[in-house]
Amino acid sequence: MDIRVAVLRIEGTNCEDETVRAFRALGVEAEAVHLKQFYSDMIKDDEVRSVWDYHCLVFPGGFSAGDYVRAGAIFSARVKSVLRKDLEEFIKEGYPVLGICNGFQVLVELGALPGFDEDKPIAEEPQMALAINDSNRFECRPTFLKHENRGKCVFTRKLKKEIVMYPVAHAEGKVVFPRGKEEEYLERLIENDQIVFRYVDPEGNYASYPWNPNGSFYNIAGICNVKGNVFGLMPHPERAFFGWQVGREEEFFDGKYVFESVVDYLRKFY
Amino acid sequence: MYREIYPGVYEVDILNASDEDLVKISEEMGLNLSLDEMKVIKEYFKKKGRNPRDIELQALGQAWSEHCCYKSSKYWLKKYLLGFKTDYVISTEYDAGVVEFDEEQAYVVALESHNHPSAVEPYGGAATGIGGILRDVLCMGAQPVALVDPLFFGELSTPYEKLPPGIKHPVYLLEGVVAGIRDYGNRVGIPTVAGMVFFDESYLTNCLVNVGCVGIAKKDRIIPSKAGGEGDIFILAGGATGRDGIHGVTFASAELTDTESTRSAVQLGNPIMKEPLIHACLEIVEKGLLTGMKDLGGGGLSCAVGEMALAAGYGAEVWLDKVHLKEKDMKPWEIWISESQERMLLTVKPKHVDEVLYIFRKWDVPASVIGVVKGEKVLRVYYKDWLIYEMDIEFVTKGPEYCRATAEKREKVEVDEVKEPEDFAKVFLKMMSHPNVASKEWVIRQYDHEVRGNTVLKPLQGRIGFETHGDAAVVKPTESWRGLAITADVNPWMTRIDPFWGTASAFDEMVRNLVAVNSRPHSFVDCLNFGNPEKPERMWEFVESVKALGWMSKEFGLPCVSGNVSFYNETPYGGVAPTPTLMGIGIVEDVRKAVTSNFKKEGSEIVLVGETKREFGGSLYSKVTGMKCNVVPKTDPKVLKNYAEAMLEAFKKFKVLSCHDPAEGGVAVALAEMAICGIGFEVDLSFTELFSESNTRWIVEVKNAENFVNFFEEKGLRARVIGYTGGDKLNYGRFSVELSEVEKAWRSGFSKFLR
Repeated sequence: MDIRVAVLRIEGTNCEDETVRAFRALGVEAEAVHLKQFYSDMIKDDEVRSVWDYHCLVFPGGFSAGDYVRAGAIFSARVKSVLRKDLEEFIKEGYPVLGICNGFQVLVELGALPGFDEDKPIAEEPQMALAINDSNRFECRPTFLKHENRGKCVFTRKLKKEIVMYPVAHAEGKVVFPRGKEEEYLERLIENDQIVFRYVDPEGNYASYPWNPNGSFYNIAGICNVKGNVFGLMPHPERAFFGWQVGREEEFFDGKYVFESVVDYLRKFY
Repeated sequence: MYREIYPGVYEVDILNASDEDLVKISEEMGLNLSLDEMKVIKEYFKKKGRNPRDIELQALGQAWSEHCCYKSSKYWLKKYLLGFKTDYVISTEYDAGVVEFDEEQAYVVALESHNHPSAVEPYGGAATGIGGILRDVLCMGAQPVALVDPLFFGELSTPYEKLPPGIKHPVYLLEGVVAGIRDYGNRVGIPTVAGMVFFDESYLTNCLVNVGCVGIAKKDRIIPSKAGGEGDIFILAGGATGRDGIHGVTFASAELTDTESTRSAVQLGNPIMKEPLIHACLEIVEKGLLTGMKDLGGGGLSCAVGEMALAAGYGAEVWLDKVHLKEKDMKPWEIWISESQERMLLTVKPKHVDEVLYIFRKWDVPASVIGVVKGEKVLRVYYKDWLIYEMDIEFVTKGPEYCRATAEKREKVEVDEVKEPEDFAKVFLKMMSHPNVASKEWVIRQYDHEVRGNTVLKPLQGRIGFETHGDAAVVKPTESWRGLAITADVNPWMTRIDPFWGTASAFDEMVRNLVAVNSRPHSFVDCLNFGNPEKPERMWEFVESVKALGWMSKEFGLPCVSGNVSFYNETPYGGVAPTPTLMGIGIVEDVRKAVTSNFKKEGSEIVLVGETKREFGGSLYSKVTGMKCNVVPKTDPKVLKNYAEAMLEAFKKFKVLSCHDPAEGGVAVALAEMAICGIGFEVDLSFTELFSESNTRWIVEVKNAENFVNFFEEKGLRARVIGYTGGDKLNYGRFSVELSEVEKAWRSGFSKFLR
């Protein structure tokens, strides 16, 4: 069976092309799909889509609807209003959902991450936030990430390296949990094996700015839900997919693992 | 003098107007037309036997502005610069140049100024500058792939009490402009990959914000900026039309007198309208549903409709009440000339109208049918049922042309007071921390330079966390390994002393930067920022600059494929240094072979290619020491060509580890920039070799330096080994400094002024 991936977009999402390209480079069918194609009655028949046409959904990077409210808030509100039931079912069935940068923000606003409750994969309200960077401005820079997942996350199972390099480019990427509950949340994340990537310096030590580019709590760069099939991260693996994107001679680079892992998972899933 | 003939439409009595009245009308209506121009208009309407309506005069004010019709510059541009093409140039006649990229694809390139809006409202001015240049590239049917921003401000250290009344501080302007570019460019998802930031006191009252864009299109899908044919339908798509940006072009075509009361001339940008507009337009292009497309920029609908129709040799009929508006009760003339952003004008065959409207609706982009292409070369505008505008297209759109007076102001006597410093290290550290040289990381990191995932050489290169500046950015716009190198260059300290050699030096620097990354210079565009052209000295500066550009372009064999002239960069406190910003495009055969600027290995040899002369005019050394010199570096396009060819051949023949070109601060600064990622060096250089800013030189880190040098010498070109990489000192022979100390000076020299 052919694996089909949808990279969702609305106005202002802008990393869909390179994300689609990454999947296609691995030989799976991927397309950028406008959210309207799932529900609007003005869409022509041949462009109408259903969540169930796909095996994997991706929320890409960008500035959905301008991010003039909180980053990801509007995109997630629209998803909630039209796709919530489908999406919840999709996640429960074990289909993977990925959010990169703005997509991570969308998943957090949606309540799909940290996603502690397996039976209710989309929480009623957000349980964490991606706050404004400590530097108080947008920053585009390479970051080093330590892979700390013990096997739960379906997007990093093929990752054999301990440290990878993906660039970040965001203004709101600082992981924060409800005040006073940080330690409790952290324990749960660790216990459930939900922590996937943490920012480190080139030697692999947990370090502060600029290595932790936003001041994220516990240097968290990416987490997955309790089931391991919803994954969000601020850094951009699609920008470090090919060697030439990062000045390397090898054909592929660190970003490939994320896409490869989920494709491998999907191949086994059927 | 004014009589309302329809609601909101006034007839203006110019047939009975005296000269004095004509001047008064021009002023009262904000037309910015001269008495002579008003007289021509009077004659035209005399022949028609009626008085003009306000909307007609407003349209003429737009079309005949310096900004729209290049009335002061086109004579000189035609005489010296334009007309030289190579066989790979596809088109230079529209808003953006179109040049062959490979067999199937073309790249599209444009560079523009957005100076006055940015001086008045830095955030909005810079943001809409980005929006405008994106539309210039998009309207050719191209996907934008890279943005470039050369910026020029007064000195950051300017004390507040020295600011003239109403003038905004350079720090405020810089922060506002960078934020505007960031918030627009990042949101719209096009990477900002290159640029420059230059500080000079002449920009204190009139900063310059230039914006460039490169796009990529299929050759057989290039869209002309002209109407398709008779009966084609005009569709206006994008943002609603409002009162923002009224009189933007007339405001840009006069000296800037007051930065507070002219805010209404600055448009409002909305990247989240632009982003889907790009997708929708490109989908329509891909499906072959349109016959012509033009963006709405200066002069709004008035200029866009006129230019599209004139270029095709047709006329048009427009129904103004069909335009979707931001606010009710806009007067017809306001709708006609509003410069509201994020709008495109398309011509479409009637049978495709429904499909085109569907695509816009799908992307939530408002679009409406507003007119039709007519065979007769007349433009008629209706508002509701009233015919409120009827003029010959050629009369309106062609505009006047002037050959204005020039007056030379070059210093006749050579001055050279430059001598060796008492303390080399002290002067050198001052140079490294000068804001024109120091690290621009604070700016660069705020721009997403990697979105689209195709940026191969980024603006910051080298060891992660310790990066240095690159010479040119490289993007990979298609599936193939071929890439585009992009650089923006000019040194206004040189052009101010000598606009001819200063401009030639900018050209030389542009070529050096392209070659340094292992790309073949392919084309360039210019943005010529000058003062008031009605002043003969300013006009002379302009003519000298254009002469130099034409000479370098033709003799080197590099075509100028698009450009922009921005005059009146002048306030009562003075004019800007002549600033001919150049954006160069190079072709990289294989992006995997692009060369970066940072030293790679300890113990490799360092070669200086080219010849160093005593040329300190406009140099950084002269600036920081205060030692006067007016000997601006000269260059020779033929020699430059020989060196460039030899360098490109050498990249193939030898293992070149890194390459960088000496510019501000000469070889001393260039070597330091190569070392800043963590590898020091030991070289032996004379005082002149250290700090002179002679053109046509490169620094190369190479293995087998002996063969490399021989290769150049055999061609009769200069190259010599000047030393070796290694260690944690910058040892110049005459003096030595710790790498860490240099790095500190370089990293903080610019950012210390900012939050």
